Amino acid sequence: MAKVLYVDFERCIGCRACILGCEECSGHDHLSRMFVDELNPGETVATSPTPCMHCYTPACAESCPVQAIQVLDGVVLSASHEKCIGCKNCTYACPFGIPLVDESKKLMYKCDLCFDRTSKGVPPMCVSVCPTDTLMFIEEAEAKTRMNKPVQYQWDFGGTVIETRTVIGIPNTETHRYGYNEVEGFDHVE
Amino acid sequence: MHVQNTDYSQKNYEAIRRPGEQLITTHCCFCGMQCGMHIRVERSETNKVIGVEPRYDFPMNGGRLCPKGVAAYRQADHEERLTQPLIRKNGKLVEASWEEAMDLVVGKIKELQSKYGKDSFGIYSGSSMTNEKCYLVGKFARIGLGTKNIDYNGRYCMSSAATGFNQSVGIDRGSTGPWSDIKFADVLLIAGSNTAECHPLSMPYVWGARDRGAKLIVVDPRETKTALVADLHLDLRPGTDVALVNGLLHVMFREGLVNREFVEKHTNGVEAVEELVKGYTPERVEEITGVRKDKIEAAGILLGKARNSFVLFARGVEQHTSGSDAVSNYVNISLLTGSVGRKGAGFATFTGQGNGQGGREHGQKADQLPGYRKITDPAAREYVASVWGVDEKEIPGPGISAFEMLKSLGGDIKGLLLICSNPMVSAPTIGDVEERLKSLEFFVCMDMFLSESAELADVVLPTTVWLEDNGTTTNVEGRVIRIRGMEPTPGKSKRDWEVICEIAERLGRGQYFRYSSPEDIFNELRVASKGGIADYSGISYEKIERMDGVFWPCPSDDHEGTPRLFEDLKFNFPDGRARLHAVEHKGPNEKTDAEYPLILTTGRVVYHYLSGNQTRRIESLLKLCPDPYLELHPDTARRFGIGNGQMVKVSSRRGFLTVVAKIVKTIRPDTVFVPYHWGKTLGINHLTNPALDPKSRIPEFKVCAVKIEPTNLGDLANG
Repeated sequence: MAKVLYVDFERCIGCRACILGCEECSGHDHLSRMFVDELNPGETVATSPTPCMHCYTPACAESCPVQAIQVLDGVVLSASHEKCIGCKNCTYACPFGIPLVDESKKLMYKCDLCFDRTSKGVPPMCVSVCPTDTLMFIEEAEAKTRMNKPVQYQWDFGGTVIETRTVIGIPNTETHRYGYNEVEGFDHVE
Repeated sequence: MHVQNTDYSQKNYEAIRRPGEQLITTHCCFCGMQCGMHIRVERSETNKVIGVEPRYDFPMNGGRLCPKGVAAYRQADHEERLTQPLIRKNGKLVEASWEEAMDLVVGKIKELQSKYGKDSFGIYSGSSMTNEKCYLVGKFARIGLGTKNIDYNGRYCMSSAATGFNQSVGIDRGSTGPWSDIKFADVLLIAGSNTAECHPLSMPYVWGARDRGAKLIVVDPRETKTALVADLHLDLRPGTDVALVNGLLHVMFREGLVNREFVEKHTNGVEAVEELVKGYTPERVEEITGVRKDKIEAAGILLGKARNSFVLFARGVEQHTSGSDAVSNYVNISLLTGSVGRKGAGFATFTGQGNGQGGREHGQKADQLPGYRKITDPAAREYVASVWGVDEKEIPGPGISAFEMLKSLGGDIKGLLLICSNPMVSAPTIGDVEERLKSLEFFVCMDMFLSESAELADVVLPTTVWLEDNGTTTNVEGRVIRIRGMEPTPGKSKRDWEVICEIAERLGRGQYFRYSSPEDIFNELRVASKGGIADYSGISYEKIERMDGVFWPCPSDDHEGTPRLFEDLKFNFPDGRARLHAVEHKGPNEKTDAEYPLILTTGRVVYHYLSGNQTRRIESLLKLCPDPYLELHPDTARRFGIGNGQMVKVSSRRGFLTVVAKIVKTIRPDTVFVPYHWGKTLGINHLTNPALDPKSRIPEFKVCAVKIEPTNLGDLANG
């Protein structure tokens, strides 16, 4: 079994080093394939990163009319430059909103888990630079069964369940808010 | 791996090496974490900088980087780099030769000094330079120019921590222990630091402790990303740290949680503290600080019961008129519980500037000589004079602090050399600073970009970015590390130390400033620091390389440095006992009133460094935070009729600024926040209060009284 991305949501500080780091991978043409979202701006400073989820049955690849998106050793690769026609089917098909299209080149680009790094056994750039270890690159079995908190890797989109190789660590919102609960600000005394 | 690095956060991977490239193994130029990194350089005659590669094996960060670190390299090959000296002619800065620029600089120094005396020429320097440069600048002021007037921007940054540490434990090293100690605390107290944004690479250590079950207490008027994950968030009113800590100490005394044996054996002054904090009941402290009393109780008990606690603080505690004493009060927590001198127990300040630690040790402070020696100490003067090869009488006495220097420009100080600093953004009340800089008879600035301050200079000398030079810095822990650089420097730019040595040569003082390399300067610094508090004499470039950094003090060649201070529980006073300080709450210099009803506090964002002279020029960082903004609570927004995203005019008694409003529930309703990285019409420091801490001379950046009103986009000017 190969290594996968594990995302420990509660550690994200929203610094976007992953986004900038992604641009630094030599195969990435300085185009970042990483996303960071503010969960509820104004209510909380909580943020979370969204990398490619590397689905077992990737909708992006299935929707591609020219079979430009290959899966190699469990990594859903960026579209082949030779084949891609920039039609954006993949961007509409992906339930996580991951593939983007470079309008100037009419080419799709997405996370390939930094193929030039991971093929040498070195973690992808987003994981390498992440200051808080929100993003980790670990064995799939470990990520899915041996973490110290509940994890999620199956996603129900209106009855269609998608299983992903990327695993999300779910914060324990009973002991900590981590900004995920709706609250009336914090407890200060005026 | 050296044993000192065992408990750190390095990763077991090797950096990728690509054909046609070389990796320069160095550290980030930004904050005091000094994260290790490799810079990717194309193998060619021009040595083009093309990117960054993680340095997985460096203990402190193990390859991890914040966005500033990832983007840092983009300064090198930047179109706005200064590559030619500039001279003001007919009011405009125009390109000139080095010969012409140096003739002018040296001519003006001689002219002003002969007309008004040696002290009429001052140096205002910075702490983002290597130790070698900081040392050299201090030496150049004293025996190159012969002026007493030198101080540096660390005065705005680290001076309260330094003063607080010195008065409490007799030594000012930013951290009592290696950063890995944080992982082994049971309770972490982080005060006045948005660690997640300002020192992101400390977070693996905070999480390291939390993963072992540690409790995290965060003291901050805002629910920052650090406070968000705390067990207890003490959301105090800005400027009330002293009272808050007195409340915590009150609970610890009342509950019998003070370590009487430790206090008895290793400290002085407990009686006064115990007496004083009796008056700081949780009820009263709630009134002063706005922190709910049950949280004060809970925090006091957590800290009192901790086997090992680690107390960390930053500018939020320090940039106040009571900053030094607030630092000592936080240190009191560690001393009263005996939580110091062992793994997991200690206290530290988060160093802001890249070399904020080393920069305050080797003589560019107004009152200081290398090795953290006092310039007023006859023995220190005698020793340093002997190292420099001059008569002791040639070393001037103490000068004045940074902000006081700025106030003297055009008065006692007629000429100024500004190095590695941008007071037109970073000083309080910058409108006044502009007037003062303009009133100089001669102003020369060394910088790699045309900063807001450089724009006002008569001569601008183009210097290098960090990865074009060699040297050392000292990180947040007190670990001395190696900065490695490359050839060539762009255009006609020169390395700062070469420029300073050349000025010295032309002033006829060249015999004291002949160095072949930064290592040559470092070897002199080692001797100059020998026997001082910050003793570097046993540190060599080779040893730094072998050990991945050496902690000072390191007093001899066979010594391997001192990662943890006070292991023998001997503090740096003649009797070996730490000093407990009883500190009464005074509150900020400027109080809110009917006209200025809100508290303004300022700070940083993760995408920018200090005055932004570097990070505002890096497009990938700028687009993530292009402009300052004003954070305010929804209740406050309603009260003043301000909508989210609307322009708001914020004014203090000293100036005003128009910025966009950002309504957030994560700030106290009595407080507004604006980040400070911008100048000119976007500078919040037009408003901040220049009142100084009488001990450290740090200005009170963190509190002033303001009013806010809705306005429109057209009203962008400031006053």
